[in-house]
Amino acid sequence: MAVVSFALRDFIEYGFDEMKLREIIPKLGMEIESIKDKELSIDITPNRPDLLDFVGIARAIGCFSKPKEQPVYRINGESGIEVKVGSAVKDIRPYASCFVVKKANLKSDRLKNLINFTEKLASTYGRKRKKMAIGLHNLDAISGKALIYDAAAEKRFVPLGFKKSMDFNEIMKKHDKGIEYSDFAEFKKNPVYPYLEDSEKVLAMIPITNSEATKVTESTKSLLVFVDGTSEKIVKQVADMLACSFIDSNAEVYSCRVKYAKQAHTFPELSYQEIKVRCSRAEGTIGIEMENSQTALYARKMGYNAERFADYLNVKVQPYRVDVLNEQDVIEDIAMAYGYDRIAPVPVVGHSAGSEEDTTKRNERMSMLMLGLGFTEAMNMYLTNEKNNFDNMNRKYDKKSVLSLMNSKTEFISILRTSVLPSLLSNLSYSFKEKMPQRLFEIGFVFAMKEKVKEGINLAFVSEHAKANFSEAKSYVESIFSGTGFKISEHKDPSFIDGRCASVSVDGKTVGVFGEIHPSVLKNFKLEEPVVAAEIILDENIVYGV
Amino acid sequence: MHEYDKKILSFISRNKSATIQDIEKNLGIEPSAVSSVIERLASQDAIEVSKQEEYAIKITDEGKEYLNSGFPEEVLIKEIKHIGGNRDLSLIIGNIAVSWAKKNRWIEIKDGKARLTKEGEKISNSFEYKPRELLKTIAESPKQGYATIVKERRDEIDVLVKRNIIEIKQHNVVKEISITKKGIALLSSEEKGIGQLTRDAITSEKWRKEGFRQYNISAETEKIYPARMHPLHEFLNYIRDIWVGMGFTEVSGPIVESAFWSFDALFSPQDHPTRDMQDTFFLSNPRTIDIDDVALLNRVKEKHEKGWGDTWKEEIAKQSVLRTHTTSVTAHYMKKFGNAAKGDYPIKLFSIGRAFRNESIDYKHLAEFYQTDGIVIGDNLTLANLMYIMKSFYKNLGIKAEFMPSYFPFVEPGLQVYYYDEKKKDTIELNGAGIIRKEITDAMGTNKTILAWGIGLERPMFNFMKMDSIVELYKNDIGWLRNREELKL
Repeated sequence: MAVVSFALRDFIEYGFDEMKLREIIPKLGMEIESIKDKELSIDITPNRPDLLDFVGIARAIGCFSKPKEQPVYRINGESGIEVKVGSAVKDIRPYASCFVVKKANLKSDRLKNLINFTEKLASTYGRKRKKMAIGLHNLDAISGKALIYDAAAEKRFVPLGFKKSMDFNEIMKKHDKGIEYSDFAEFKKNPVYPYLEDSEKVLAMIPITNSEATKVTESTKSLLVFVDGTSEKIVKQVADMLACSFIDSNAEVYSCRVKYAKQAHTFPELSYQEIKVRCSRAEGTIGIEMENSQTALYARKMGYNAERFADYLNVKVQPYRVDVLNEQDVIEDIAMAYGYDRIAPVPVVGHSAGSEEDTTKRNERMSMLMLGLGFTEAMNMYLTNEKNNFDNMNRKYDKKSVLSLMNSKTEFISILRTSVLPSLLSNLSYSFKEKMPQRLFEIGFVFAMKEKVKEGINLAFVSEHAKANFSEAKSYVESIFSGTGFKISEHKDPSFIDGRCASVSVDGKTVGVFGEIHPSVLKNFKLEEPVVAAEIILDENIVYGV
Repeated sequence: MHEYDKKILSFISRNKSATIQDIEKNLGIEPSAVSSVIERLASQDAIEVSKQEEYAIKITDEGKEYLNSGFPEEVLIKEIKHIGGNRDLSLIIGNIAVSWAKKNRWIEIKDGKARLTKEGEKISNSFEYKPRELLKTIAESPKQGYATIVKERRDEIDVLVKRNIIEIKQHNVVKEISITKKGIALLSSEEKGIGQLTRDAITSEKWRKEGFRQYNISAETEKIYPARMHPLHEFLNYIRDIWVGMGFTEVSGPIVESAFWSFDALFSPQDHPTRDMQDTFFLSNPRTIDIDDVALLNRVKEKHEKGWGDTWKEEIAKQSVLRTHTTSVTAHYMKKFGNAAKGDYPIKLFSIGRAFRNESIDYKHLAEFYQTDGIVIGDNLTLANLMYIMKSFYKNLGIKAEFMPSYFPFVEPGLQVYYYDEKKKDTIELNGAGIIRKEITDAMGTNKTILAWGIGLERPMFNFMKMDSIVELYKNDIGWLRNREELKL
């Protein structure tokens, strides 16, 4: 999500007051973040980068409130400018598009809106300029018609906002944008920097900064728009999106050629995608019936050029829409235009009896049993750290058998727990003021790595009070396992006192351990009263139904 | 008179005075019972109890840190001295160290800059700071010594408590008990009748002759707590019941996932910001999880490259992650039931489980949270059907759900479910939902329509639990679990 802000006064020019904006914007699928200090802030979803633009928003609202036949976006002619793409950018930032704007009006808020749009577009859709960046230049300050887009380790020019010339390395160290983008992997390993230059000078160091010489101001009338990046598709789309924006602002757009080693392209393409939308499909997806005459109107409300045929709509997608891949996307737009609030909810046909999973049912039975035995239920995080899970329990561990995180922001969480018991012992340390006995249980996930990831469910309980002893733990364990033909055997576990620890097995398989917690473990958990405990495996490795 | 009351009163009477330990040792009565008898007798003025104050002091983790590395105000002074005078405080004004240093008159603040006063100079040289010295005394004192410390330095102690450096608990311990005149009279005029009802008294019916002794029903009794279910568990059961009641079948899936099922299978582009290290937990062991279905991989690759225009890389899809949403479970079942269960459509499934996000943990944010996801797989399913399901679900939670269009990469059309909060006079977002994109159903090998939604359970849960801090939820303080309010579901 990207939040963009526009001055309310700019909308007034188009005849939209605050009430109208509040009504229409949510219907377009965008959320109004706030309207205050004469400013409208909108949360734009990532599928509609065209609405990061004031012109785009105004266009969308205009269409929605007064649907009319849409303009066909066309260039006014060729600019004669050719950008030659050099070989050094091939592996780092191979694609470019470019066009020229004339008779632009950048007075009052227009320049600000334009710059905000290109910045937001490059940071969201362009993934922080990594995938795509946009440069705006004053055409009158450009010498000649042959430009070069290439990369080099070293060049000099005066960057935007500076008075003296600097070389690329200096910019990376001193210019705020240079510092901001210095973590680009491609800059780190082999420092060659993409640049754009005309016959005399460097126009931009890409995607860092433009030159002071071609700076665009409110009085600039002619511009060169240069888009570059790693995605051919996006570089083309963005040129289209920007060209439409200029055309809608009554400027003229002229194409440029981008020449690669073996081929050349002309931008902006301003190409229209045609999509056939079956009316039955639209109605069937939304769950409504539309009058024949209305369907095309709904498409036009969303900015499409739409023509109704017998049982389908022929829709032409405007070049600025990058999110429309096929029929389903147009149907969503028709649903929006129809109005989500007008769609009447309808029950799904077909009866089905619901049910819980067997694991859930088993866990519920075990929970009821533990509650009946007087244990209060705890629920803990699955994420923990080595100290809590192993060291505090006197347990050694093999790193390979533990699922560990690569990128935790805090030292408290570094692994997925292998046992529930440490969680419960930590819980007891919070309750030292409370009345004894304190009895807790938890049924929860534990994790291990044995060739494959194992997700299991364990039941653990703890009982803390002055007279807690082995026989209490044994009584509880026997009660939990009654009727299963279980066997109790001597067991050694460093978390428990030697000789006061036992394992429980069913059908010859060890499924649990219990006994008196070792005082050194108690000390690790800051506990001062005796604790007896058990940990029982309910599922060693859950087999999911997938 | 109660049997124990009589025994204890007569023991005190025989010995002129006694301590609780004497009584326990000689009469073999449980300490808790002795205490309640003593209280009862004292309330009847039958005995006189002299009490002594005793204290339990616990140094908090914060306190321990202060003890080791000094109080924050001391640290600040050191720092100011170290940088030689003026310290720009504009960033940390209102900070605890600053306010204490000011309170202690160690610093003067002018124009946002701090300077040591004479007092501050002195303290920075000597580092004899009374609160720390007191904290040290407490740390080194045996428990019996606490009473003296508290008596002598009450005010200073109170400051430490307020600053959450120590926690202090006061008990009034019974020191000596002596019998009063009234007690002697009570003992001699000992009432007749049955005290504790016994098997013998019941079978022999001797109560008909002897009658019952009257008990003091206002005497305090021992507190008993029920064993309770965790409130979150209760809440999740409630959610589960809603789905089951609506005819949904529960399913589950892996918590540790490949990025493929968490993202790629759901048409989330490989360079999408949610796949960033900042948001998603990646695992270092195991680093990757294989996806065996090569045909599926190829279909997903094709859809991604066509839709997003970038080269789709299998090694990115194989990275192991903690699932970022339970929609990954949904993805598995779309594939499983897309074409397998001919004739039984619509299939309605739900799951409830934990999902993870890479957060630095505080009172509002946890790295783990619960979600519930659901899908309906079938033919001729519509946005209107989806709205009906969402409305019914929230109706069970007492929420009037409404809809607006919104965007989620795996659905088209997509919608945002929200409600209007009368108190806040604002619309509150509940969850995203929609019809699964063709790109996804095609890749999963199904020609069915799939309605889907994913609901974070924190917000509705908070509504029910009236909690300020989410951390409380997983702390499992038994006092909180015992005394919490009943959930009104």
